[in-house]
Amino acid sequence: MTKKMIIHITIISFIMGFMLAVQYNTVQRPEMIESTDIWDIRQKVASERNLHSSLLEEIRVAQQVVQQYETDAVTDAEAILINTVEDLKASVGLNAVTGPGVILTIEPAQELIDFGYELKEIPPALLIRLVNDIYRFNGRYIEIADQRLTNFSAIRDINGKTTVNSIPIGRAGIDIRVIADTQEEAAKLYNYLLASTFFDEFYIDNMQLSVELPTHDVTIQGTERIIDNKYLTVDKGD
Amino acid sequence: MWLPLLGLILGIALGILTDIQIPAVYENYLSIAVLAALDTMFGGIRAQLQNIYDDKVFISGFFFNIALAAGLAFLGVHLGVDLYLAAIFAFGVRLFQNIAVIRRILIEKWEEYKLKKSENLPKAR
Repeated sequence: MTKKMIIHITIISFIMGFMLAVQYNTVQRPEMIESTDIWDIRQKVASERNLHSSLLEEIRVAQQVVQQYETDAVTDAEAILINTVEDLKASVGLNAVTGPGVILTIEPAQELIDFGYELKEIPPALLIRLVNDIYRFNGRYIEIADQRLTNFSAIRDINGKTTVNSIPIGRAGIDIRVIADTQEEAAKLYNYLLASTFFDEFYIDNMQLSVELPTHDVTIQGTERIIDNKYLTVDKGD
Repeated sequence: MWLPLLGLILGIALGILTDIQIPAVYENYLSIAVLAALDTMFGGIRAQLQNIYDDKVFISGFFFNIALAAGLAFLGVHLGVDLYLAAIFAFGVRLFQNIAVIRRILIEKWEEYKLKKSENLPKAR
């Protein structure tokens, strides 16, 4: 082997070593650096804490019922059962409910209508978003144009008409009634809605959303639909 | 023999100490280039052991293989076909073949050496 050859091989092995090292460096690149700050963590803790407190509340209510059963087992068992059934009916949406809440009204934006703009159907997507946001801010029961929203309700477009529970809600003069747990929650919801962009969103569709001040006694009717359940069966017992 | 080894160590040291990183997009190209380089190196060692080593073939093979592999990978990315797999397969197979040949030659040489030694032993006494 000549000296020239050795020098060539040396240069090539130098290049190869360099390539190997660069490849090694690239592969060993550190993963994404954890960059959550204190505030992110606090927010996570806060949401977990909320979940915690709501779970505790549920446990408390359940324990109360158990206690009632235990103390009045003989005398008032039937009354307690009826009570429980009523509670369940209320939460499902079969009963009328009265409580602190907010009433929203959707009306045609008069100045636009006067100018000849056409009033269209309320887009279901917008209504769904409004409902979701109301639930997010602790609205408990909702009624849109006399249609009680339950777990089985659908807001959708049927043949060009916006429907709730498969019933067209019309284009204007629609009331949305919302009941919250407490007056404070109702006030919070009211303030959130005032600060939200929903006014602009409805205005795009030539409609005007207005929110009335929270009141103590908003009444929502129970649903008239028969809630059929396919999956729960009655256990006849022994 | 120590000079190429020194070159390799020097290259590795320079690469690690300068801490050069290439963008993740080009990672594929570099890995395939490294494979091509390894293939060429083992090919060179084999050729040397078989006494058919040619300087020009070795150097041109080194650069040409790297360019071809990277070019194939580049083409594959733009055609949406994983062509770099073809290069990896080809180089991988050749790498194993070369190493197998090198191993056999070394074993043969070692056995020859042992044979010679046993023949020489009685004479030494």
